[in-house]
Formats: sequence, C-alpha cells, structure tokens
Amino acid sequence: MNSRRNFLKTSALGAGAMALAPSFNQLFAASGSTGIPKRFIFIRKSSGIRPLEMALRDFSDKDKALDEKKQPLEVDLDKHELPKWLRGLDAHKENMTILQGLSAKMSENVHYSFSSVMGCFKSNRNTLSAIKRTTIDFELAKLFPSPFGHVELSFAGGRSGIVSGYSAPAPQTRNYCYADPDTARSELFKAVLNPDAVNSDNDMLSFLKTQEGLKVGGIRGHEKRRQETQIESIHAIRERNKKLITLAGSLARHLPELDPVHANGGANASTPEKQAAMTDVLIAALKAGLTNVVTYTIDDLGTPITGLPGNETDRVGIHPLGHDEAFGGVPAWKTREQIRISHVNQIKTIVEQLKQTPEGNGSMFDNTMIMYFPENGETHHGIGLESPSLIMAGNNCNLDIAGRYIRLPVLGVEGHKTLGNWYTTLLNAHGNPMKHYGDLDLEMARKKLDQTGAIHQFIS
Amino acid sequence: MPVYHGMHKPSRVKKDDSMAKSLPASMQSNLPAIVMRRAPWIAAAFTAILPAGIIAPTAAAAEATHAAPTFRLPEKTDALLDRYCYRCHDEDEQKGDIRLDNLAGLEIPKRLDLLNRMQEQVYFQHMPPKRKKQPSEAERKAILAVISTELGIHHASTLEGKLQKPEFGNYVDHKKLFSGEYKDVPGFTYDRRWLISEYIFNAKFQRMLENRAQLGRRKNRIAVVGGSKIQNLSLANPFLLPNVSGVRYYANEDLTGGHLSSMLTNAQKTSEYITGDLVKRKKSQYLPAINEIMALEDGHHATLASRREFLENFVAKFCADLYGNKHESLLPTFTPVKLKEVKALAEGEKYKKAPIHVAQNMLKGLDGDRTVYQFLLDPHHESKSDDEFRKLCERTWFFFGDHERKIQARMTLLRDYMPEFREHAIKDNGRKIKPLVYAPLDDAEMAVVRASIIKHRRKGDRYTEVIEKCMTEWEQAFEQERIAAGPPSDKLLSDLVHQLCVQILERSPDTAEANEYLTLSKAYVTKLGNIKAIQKLIQTFILSSEFSYRQEFGTGAADEHGRRMLSPRDASYAIAYALTDQSPDEELLRAAESGRLKTRGDYKREVLRLLNKRDTNYLIDPVLADKNYPDNSTNTAIRKLRFFREFFGYPAALGVFKDEKRFGGDRLGNATSRLLNETDRIVEYILENDQSVFEELLTTEKFFVYHDGDNERMQAASDRIKRIYAHFKDLDWKNFKKEDLLEHRDLLKEVKMRSVDPDQLDARNRQGDTLKLFKKSMTTITARLDKGQKEAAPYDLYRGYGNDFMSGYNISKFFNIRMDNWDYATTQPAKVAHRKGLLTHPAWLIAHAKNTETDPIHRGKWVREKLLAGTIPDVPITVDAVIPEDHNKTLRDRLASATEVKSCWKCHEQMNPLGYAFESYDDFGRFRTEESLEYPDNLITKSPDKGTLLTDTRDIYKTLPVNSKGHLKGTGDETLDGDVADAVDLVERLAKSRRVRQSIIRHAFRYFMGRNEFLSDSKTMIDAEQAYVENGGSFDAVIVSLLTSDSFIYRKTIEN
Repeated sequence: MNSRRNFLKTSALGAGAMALAPSFNQLFAASGSTGIPKRFIFIRKSSGIRPLEMALRDFSDKDKALDEKKQPLEVDLDKHELPKWLRGLDAHKENMTILQGLSAKMSENVHYSFSSVMGCFKSNRNTLSAIKRTTIDFELAKLFPSPFGHVELSFAGGRSGIVSGYSAPAPQTRNYCYADPDTARSELFKAVLNPDAVNSDNDMLSFLKTQEGLKVGGIRGHEKRRQETQIESIHAIRERNKKLITLAGSLARHLPELDPVHANGGANASTPEKQAAMTDVLIAALKAGLTNVVTYTIDDLGTPITGLPGNETDRVGIHPLGHDEAFGGVPAWKTREQIRISHVNQIKTIVEQLKQTPEGNGSMFDNTMIMYFPENGETHHGIGLESPSLIMAGNNCNLDIAGRYIRLPVLGVEGHKTLGNWYTTLLNAHGNPMKHYGDLDLEMARKKLDQTGAIHQFIS
Repeated sequence: MPVYHGMHKPSRVKKDDSMAKSLPASMQSNLPAIVMRRAPWIAAAFTAILPAGIIAPTAAAAEATHAAPTFRLPEKTDALLDRYCYRCHDEDEQKGDIRLDNLAGLEIPKRLDLLNRMQEQVYFQHMPPKRKKQPSEAERKAILAVISTELGIHHASTLEGKLQKPEFGNYVDHKKLFSGEYKDVPGFTYDRRWLISEYIFNAKFQRMLENRAQLGRRKNRIAVVGGSKIQNLSLANPFLLPNVSGVRYYANEDLTGGHLSSMLTNAQKTSEYITGDLVKRKKSQYLPAINEIMALEDGHHATLASRREFLENFVAKFCADLYGNKHESLLPTFTPVKLKEVKALAEGEKYKKAPIHVAQNMLKGLDGDRTVYQFLLDPHHESKSDDEFRKLCERTWFFFGDHERKIQARMTLLRDYMPEFREHAIKDNGRKIKPLVYAPLDDAEMAVVRASIIKHRRKGDRYTEVIEKCMTEWEQAFEQERIAAGPPSDKLLSDLVHQLCVQILERSPDTAEANEYLTLSKAYVTKLGNIKAIQKLIQTFILSSEFSYRQEFGTGAADEHGRRMLSPRDASYAIAYALTDQSPDEELLRAAESGRLKTRGDYKREVLRLLNKRDTNYLIDPVLADKNYPDNSTNTAIRKLRFFREFFGYPAALGVFKDEKRFGGDRLGNATSRLLNETDRIVEYILENDQSVFEELLTTEKFFVYHDGDNERMQAASDRIKRIYAHFKDLDWKNFKKEDLLEHRDLLKEVKMRSVDPDQLDARNRQGDTLKLFKKSMTTITARLDKGQKEAAPYDLYRGYGNDFMSGYNISKFFNIRMDNWDYATTQPAKVAHRKGLLTHPAWLIAHAKNTETDPIHRGKWVREKLLAGTIPDVPITVDAVIPEDHNKTLRDRLASATEVKSCWKCHEQMNPLGYAFESYDDFGRFRTEESLEYPDNLITKSPDKGTLLTDTRDIYKTLPVNSKGHLKGTGDETLDGDVADAVDLVERLAKSRRVRQSIIRHAFRYFMGRNEFLSDSKTMIDAEQAYVENGGSFDAVIVSLLTSDSFIYRKTIEN
C-alpha cells in the first residue's frame, strides 16, 4: 500500500503532478523539507535584452574592448556605475550579478521561446508534443517542496484568469498560470477567501473515497493494492485541503490588499499598477510559504503596455517597439528602456521586501535568487547567440557570483557556456547531481568543444 | 449496495489454484514459494531462466535471518560467497567498488541496496563472470534463497517489479518458449485492470466531448479519429507512455497521486467546457438533462444578455427618445480627458511612427474600433472635421461611462492616426465594417427596459451606471423566480445521472448506483446551485477509477485449470483496445450484448472484421499533427501500424536534435516530418499486402521518397515541370526582359509558375519581382532536367513563403539525392540505391543515432534485443561511458578503443559487431563509404552557412574509409551466423532467421497482451508463429492467433 509519503512523492514528481499549480487541488502539504528552503524567482521578459544595454558605461578602455569583442571578462560592480535602467538596484549591487555570454540556441528564439527557454529544447512554436522535458523551475521546485510546489504568474498576451503558461511540470505537459493579480490572489489565498470551494471539493472526494473503498472488498493481490493506492491518493488530497484550511489563519496574515482597479482582471489598470500588484501577490505567496519557486512572465510581445513614463496616456506595443516603431512621439528605444525600468522596479521591491522579512539569522532574501532574463535572446529577433541575464541573490546563495559583471567566452569557443550549463549549475548547486540539463548546442558539438555540466567556477 | 460498478466481481477460486498448478508437476514442487506468494506471474518468469525453485528461501535461511535481530549470513552461504565472490569483492579488492564480505555490518538501506544488486546479478547469471568458475544450480539457488528471504522481510525486493517491465521480457528462455515442451501448459492472463494509455485518454475525451477532427490526405480533407486536440479545451494528459523504442504500453502501471491530481483539473475544465460550451452548442442533442435542468436559468441569462446587448448598443438613442427634451439635462457634465503632450525630439533623434495596422489593433484592444468606424460610416458625421469627429467619439465614450484611461488611450490613437482611420473606413467600403442598425426588442421586453430605466436613471448618471442598476434589478428578480421554482426534480437529476454515466463511463448505472449518485446530486445542488452541481457531478464521474482503468475480468464458471473467459463486455473492450484506441464499435457492442462474444470463433469473427474494416481514418502521429503535417492518417486499425512504429522506434527521429548546417540544407524539420510519414507509408503498404510482412519490413526495396502515394498526381506534377522546361529550354530565358514573358502568356497562364503572372508583370513579393521569380523558377527547373533526367521532382519552383506543393523536399538529402540532379521516380514505392528494409531507412538510422554521430552501440543493442530476443545487462553504475575524441580516427575506431577492452567486451560483443554494420550510413542516415572527420583542424572547405535550394551547406573535412564489417551471432542458424559485410548483408540474413521471426512475435505478444510472456504462453507463441507461416507471412494472421489464444481469452483470479 502506498503511504502518504509515497503519494506526495508521486504527486510531486509524477507526469502531470504540477500541471495544475493554479488550481487549489494542486496544493500539496509537502512539509517534508526541513530547515530554510531556497527560493527561486524566474522573471521572463520579451523582445530580448541587448548585450550593450547591460554593459557598464564606465568600463576601462581595456574592459570595454573585451566586452565589445565578446571576450571573457569579470569586474566588480561596486567599482562601477550601473546602466541607467538598472540604477534602481544601486543599493543592492553586492547582491547583483550581470551575466553575459550565455547562449541559448538550443531553445526556440526569434519572437517567442514559449516553454523552451526554460527547458533547453526547440519548441516547434508552442506545441505540446515538443515540450521535451521538465522546465528548470519545476526541477528546482522538486528540490524545495512547498504547498503549491510552483507558482506561475504571467502577463503574456494581456489575458486574465487562469490560462496556459510556459513552464512544464513534465514532458508534453503545460502548466497553467495566473494572468492577473486578482486571480492570483484569489487562487493562492483561496483557503482564506473562498473556503466553500475547498469544502465542495472535499465532498466529492469523500464520495469517491467511499465508492472506491467499496471495490476493495472483492479483489485481491495487485488489484487490491492498486485500489488501496487510489483511495490513499484521494485521502491525501482531502487531507491536503484540510491542512490548507487550517493554515487559513496564517495565510490571512499575508493576504495582500489590491486596489479595486484590479477587480475582474483589471482591464483598466496601468502596466505599472498591474506589475506592482502582481509583485505584491508574489511576495505574499513567498512570505506565506505557499511556494518556493515562482516563474513570472512579466511581458511578451502581446502584452499591452499603458501608463509608462513618457507614454502616460498611450497604449504601446512591445512588438512594434522591437521594430523601432514608436508611439506618442517618444522614440522606441526610450520606451523600451522605460519598460525595463518598470521591470527593475519590481525586482527592487522583491529584494527590499524580502530583506525586511527576518528568516533564520538573516532575512528571506538571503535564501532567494531572482533571475531576470530575455525569453528569446539578444535582440527583438534574437537567435540565441546571447542571453544576457541579471541575477539578484542573497547572502546564502549556493553560487559564488555576487557583485560581479561576468562575461563568459562567446559561443563557439573553448569554455563557452550555454543556458544548459547555467541550469545545470543551478541544479548541481542545490542538490540535483544531473550531469547536464537540456539539449546540447550544435555549433559546440560540431566543433567538438566540451559543453556539458555545471559552470564550476560559479559553485561556491 | 453494489460492490462493483462496471467492474466484474471475480468469483472465488481455491487459494492455491494459480499458476503453480498449471505447471508440470516437476516444476510445481520447486517453485519459489515466496515469489509465488507475492507475485505469481513472476514465478513463471523465474522458471524460465533458472532451474525451478532456485530462489526459494530454505528453512535454514529463513530461520537464520528471522532468528537474528540483525542480518547474518548462514555459514553455508558465506562459504559459497567466499568460493565465488569474495576473491573480487572483499576487503582486499572491491571490483566495481563492490564489497560483499561485510554485509552484516552495513546499515539496513545500504545492505538492502547491495542485496538487490546481488540478486539481479546472480539471478540473471551475470555473476560470477563467464570466465570464472560458476556455481552449480543448487548453489545459485541457495544464494538466491538467502537474498530473497532477507529482502522479503523488508519488502524491499526490486526484481519482481523489473521482471514485469518490457525490457526484461527477453529473460524468459526463448528456446523453452518455442520448444513445445510447455505447449500443454494452459495459457491465461490474470484478472486485471489496465491503466489507459495516452492515446486512449485522448480518444475517451474526444468521444465523450463528441470532438470531430479533420485532416488532409492527398489534398482531400477527411474525418479522423485520434490526436490530442479538442477545440477550446486544453487538457493535461497524465498517461504519457515512456519515450522508448519497443513496446511502450503495459498493464503494470498504477494510477498514482500524480495522475489523480492532473485528472482533478482535467475533470474541472471538462465540466466547465460541457456546461458552458457543448450543451449550448449542441442543444438537446447532447446531455439533454443539463439543458432541462438549466432551462429556467438559461432563459434568464438569454433575456439578460439580449437586454444588455440592446442597451449597450442603443442606450443613448433609447434614452434620448424616452426623455425627449429632458434628456440632455440628465447627462453628466462632460469632462474631456487630458492627453500627454508630444515633446519635440532631441536633435538628431529619429522617430518612426508605428504603422496603422498596429494602431488599428490597439484601438480594437481598447474596444474603441466599433464606435470609431460606426461614426465614420454614418453619413450624419461625414462632414465633420477631425477635431469634431474626435470630440464626438470622446463625448460618446464619456457619457457611456468608459474608463478614463481607455478614453485617453483611444483619443491618443485618434490624435495620431485620424487620417489613416478614415482611409481604412473608405477602403473597406462596407465589406467588413457593417453599420449598426437600430433594432428594438419585442414590445414586452421594451416595456420592461423602459420601466427599469425610468426607475433607475438619475441626473448625472452615465449610461453604464444606469445599465448596471437595471441589470442588478433584473438579476435579482430572476433569482427569486428560480428559488420559487425549487430545485430540479428527482426525475431530472436521475436522468442527468443516467446520461452522464452513459456519456462518461459508457454504460448505464445499476439501480443502487443510480440512487447513490442521485443523493449526491441533490447534496451538490443544495450546496452549490444547479450549474456548479452539474459540473461537480461530471467531475465525480470522470474521477472514478473506472474511467482511468480498462477492465479485464473473467466471468462464469472456471474450467479445470481455474480459468474463466473474459466477460463479453470486457472482451469487447479488450478486442477494441487491442486494435484501436477507441471503445468498441456498435457491432462489437451488439455482439457482446447479444451473447455473440463467448467463443473463440466469436473472437475471431470480430477481430477479422476490425482488421478488414476500412471506414474509419485514424490519425497516425499526434506529433506530426502538432506540426500541421498533412497526410498523417491511415484507415487500417491504428494499433497494427503503431506496433511496428514502436517496435522499430523510427518516430524518435523527430526528436533527435540535428544541425541544418551538417544536414546540408534548410527546413530539416519539414524533411524529417516527411521522412517519418513516408516510413509510415512503407509500413502501411507492406501491411496492406500482408505477405511475408517481417521479411519485407527487413528487406524491402520499395521506398517512398518525396511522394504522397498518389502516382497520378506525382506524374502530373512532373509533367508540368517537364512542359515548362521543354518550352523554354532552347530560349535565352536568362536574359529575358519582363515584356518577353508576354510572348509566353498562354503557357504561363496555364502552368501557373509560382507568383509568375504575365498579366501582373510589375507584381513582386519578398523574393523579387515577376521576372526575377520566373528566372529563379527556371533555374531549378533546368537543374532538374538538364542532365538527362526523365522525370522532375515536384517541389516548388523556388523557395518561398506560403504553402509548398508538398513540404519536406529536402528529404532527398537523406537518400544522397542531389537537388540539382534528381531523376525523380513518379511511380512509387520504388527502389533506392543502397537501401534495403527499414533498418537502412534514414528514419530508423536517425532515431538510433546521436546528435552529431552515429550510434553503433544502440543500433546493435536494438538488433540484439528486438530481433534476436537477446539480453544485455544494464550499464554498470560504475561505468562512465565516454567515447574518446581523436581527430584522426573514425568513430568505430574510437569506440573500439573504449569498448573492446576485456571488461567491457563481455557486453559490447553483443552489440558492437551488429551495430558496426550500419556504419555505411551517417547520423542522418546517408549512405557513405568515407567518414568525415568533423574537427576544425580537419576542415578542407568551408561552405556557406546559408544555402539556396540547389546548394549544399556542408563543410568538407578530411575523411577516412568506413569499415562496415560486422558479425552476426545468435540466430541459432549456423548458415546465417558469421561475418557480415555491411547492413544490407546483415538484414538479408536476419530476414531469413526463424529466431528473428519468433522474436518479433514475442514483441507482438507483449504489445497486444500488455505484459511479458510466461512459459505458460508457449502454445500461444507457437500458434502465432504457425499462423504466420501457414498464411504466407501474414501479420493479420498473427494478430488473430494472439487475440483468440488462451492467453488473451482466459483469465484467472489473482491471489493476495
């Protein structure tokens, strides 16, 4: 007979287990982990990040030349001025890494990467059958279990409600995500906001348990064990629901307040308002311990953008901006910069909120990594040559990268690192000894260059 | 109270009346008791390899292990280990990091892990190594007994589970299975439930939701079953099969918490889809009880929706008419929105305004397009200036009550794009944009609306406020009406339960069950209201274990061997699911219900009928469907074709990530999709002929290469190209001016060269203007026919956007065919140079290759396991298999240096000599005599990274001759075993081997039965082989034989 523990294991690791993260039914009372968990926040942005946008303006001539020629480079951030759009994080330079030189050609590029940028495979547009493996966020979620396991938030396509996401809990499986702050809040804090929904689930589960239980009497051997497993699984979900209800008091303390403009999908909320509200929900979910891994698609090419400084009364499109087509008399590059600044504002809020929240001998941020990266590489039509990334990590980070601008060897030369190496590094550093995560780069393979494994110099 | 709902209650049989009693007496006495007790089906497998009883725990062993609180090896066992094992695995030496002389001192988890590994090594006779002194059978038995007992105490043995897996099927002794020695042992399968597959999951939901799919086949659209797409519904399939080559779908998987969690959300989404979409779309044709229960509420919603629609469209006019002169005074004071001022650009700053189509989409996204275009079409506003027009729109939106931000964004667009919007409205000329014509509701409704507005409108209200107040009043009134009407009657709820049970579980509920569900439904209604209650009830049915498991139980009186025949209903499903993913068709169901599924003859009749049935089209590959690949269907029973897809494993070619540069051309994905599809077509062609099927699959010389199976269509396409070529070949077309094309107008109009229209000489697309496109086309046409080719390959005339004539033209590159010199075979299947059978087909070769290299080991392993019924041990965990790099050696030589050392060769000699024969083909499946040493320092010529339709982008490197010599051992036929020259030589020998035929039949058995074979299935195997031979190599005959065998028909009750 499967024990509860086994159920949780199969639930957490099974094929469709995490497919339902936004559903209340996906909550798992996985209290098996002890100690303080590590937390990971993946923030996906669209339309690329141009490597030059990340470059430090006051590089020495020598460093500037190296950077422009894509030669390996490492400098301390505290001795340099950040690019304008990153200056919101000036106070947190010691926690910052600007990572340049990772390639992402094994994932889908150009306009959209869908699930592939976090899974290192070609996504054949967005087809289910092409989802080759569990995405990196879900791999990390397995290492640090939590009631929700994993939470995906997304502004992609300007949708609202619970919609399909980009993360993949298993091959050929697509996650669901919360597409507006109000939905995210209602679903994550359902035990507080709508306990009746939980109870009606439990009525159904009770009935099913009884019905399945009746079948046990007449069968034997393996069939009996199968039936018992089924009953145990139903029971475990009921127990999980019950536990959530008992947690309601604790959840209520962290329940975020949202402005009424976000009601019913928040059609009239501006982009900064939406982002701020979603960030509040994200932080609340972390503080409440509902999840340790969040993937946040902060925009894609279909996300309508409104209320940005300079374009306060315009609605602008990220796709036209990527083609240098502008709105409201503001040059496209300036609007693109404002979009990035709006993203940095969210990162800053997360960092500062978590730094203010005590945990262990430090703060919650000490155990948190935020990774901000383009879904499609180095430009609006990126081909994955580079995937410039910003990483914010707390003092207990398992990687030794903080406070530095790091440019890795460029694609196609000895020592180059791919997104697959980066994800392998994350996994290896946090307890998954996987040899290599993701598909290999074919140019590296063609040139017979070593490209598997973690980036060892990053592992402290 | 029913114990079983749709699940057959197994009758009791005597406790010991299981497999043991089916076996010959000599075997029964020695069966390993502990294994028999825990998993009787394993017992037979054990007997297949080792003399019976070899791992039964002895009394002494049991006593020894039970008596001591900690583990202690019995002295005799310790002596045996000392004799056979400790020499390599003790304190002094630990080969493979294994030490066995301190078992007692290990912590329990470590000890159990080591014992499990020992059990496998000893059981499978992998240890001691062959060159070392071997224990006798009795000694092996004694060692296994101790191990088994200790593992049994801790419920920790992993061997039984492994032996149920497909990859361990070959461990049942092949010779014994076909020797005839066991043919009198009665065959059977245990009563079981079988978790549905990913395909059945899709089919179940498609059937339940009455989803119809269509697909292209040779330019026709046909209805198909299968595939995963359901319009407007996205489900997570939790029943995915392992992505491996070979039989993938077995009956040994259990429903886990993971499955259940996914099914919870699937059930929820499906219930919402049914109630929110299907029942409304299909009206009384689909689950009519839902519409009946919801009739009152649906009526209310429809009324509310029509009132809202009327008001949202015409509230301004309606109010103006209603209030006359007073109307204006009731409106709020208009306050215009403020727009962000446009600042002057800095000096040197460039600005590119977003194009009008972007602005149009923005306006649409802001729900402002309808107002703007309605006003632009309205003659009353025709003379308004831009400013007046903008003011009109803004006032309209303001008084309606739209959000200030929306108005701001719309007004910004009107500020920046007014001329373009006007131009668009004029250009459209009423084609897409229709004027909105005032359409009042009927008189009674208008009276209600009028009364409500008069009741609620206050001075200063915007229209949305008035509308919402009216709607609230009406909703509350309707709700009261529904409360007064009371809950749905028991009759209606009973109808619902019945209909849902039939729709979801495909059967009627029995009385007790119906009552239980009725009680549940009433409770749901009380707590949740009608619609949520219906949804919850749908979810409850979907989450029943009966939905996720197929059921195969015996019924009736047991025969002298304790076997009972499958119940007719279960038999109908077993037969249907053996051949398709769908539930039984009507005829099969009728046979089950009318008592015509009770004899072997009945089974045969139905199986033959389904095999000959051609009125259903099945989608072959959901992955190809995801890629929008056409021609992806068959009208033969899908699981027949799928057996060979899975057995050969060639569909995996799609998932091997390949480099277009090394491929030599672009659109590799399209070419691989076509490759897979054309492999399917070869298999389908051979199955359709149904003669010498195995031999044909292994040695056919009939291939499809860039051909859709319609010879006439292909010939016509070639003839068209030949005609164009003949017309222009002697003309100086390279120096044509555009006007010259007019001299050939008649021909050009007739042959329709891609984007070459003599009546539109100035037209152009991204590839160029008409003249340029003509010359591009002529270049490829000339290349196709100027070297004496008799026919022309019918790919498009130049590479462009849009739909190709047939995608995947670059498939020719897999077959070493040059695009600039392709003598195309219009009649196919046809012979292709250097190819013979599926193992030389690029699809199989790619599927069994790595990203950038061939894979002799796995190609050889495939032949050993799939065709020769051989076994290869798992890779020892201590082995870190890496092929050393050497820029001056072929892969084979590099591989040899790593695997032909003594310690590795023990296993690799089972694989490498078979796999080496395929070195005649590279990792794209291209035939070769030289191996390219693809290292930068061996580069001779760098080719362009981007090519044209006719060029090859492959870089040229130094080469070394390919050595494709191999060795075949294991057919049991000395005329076949021996050195082989290459893959063609190898497959010709394999096709003649009886063992190969038997091996395929063993895999077919596993595929159709969903389990590994036992010795008690010996007769089934022998009969299947005989059927194949006697019917000229008919695979249909094999299927009929298997599905009418005792192994399929008879069931036994499993013991605890």
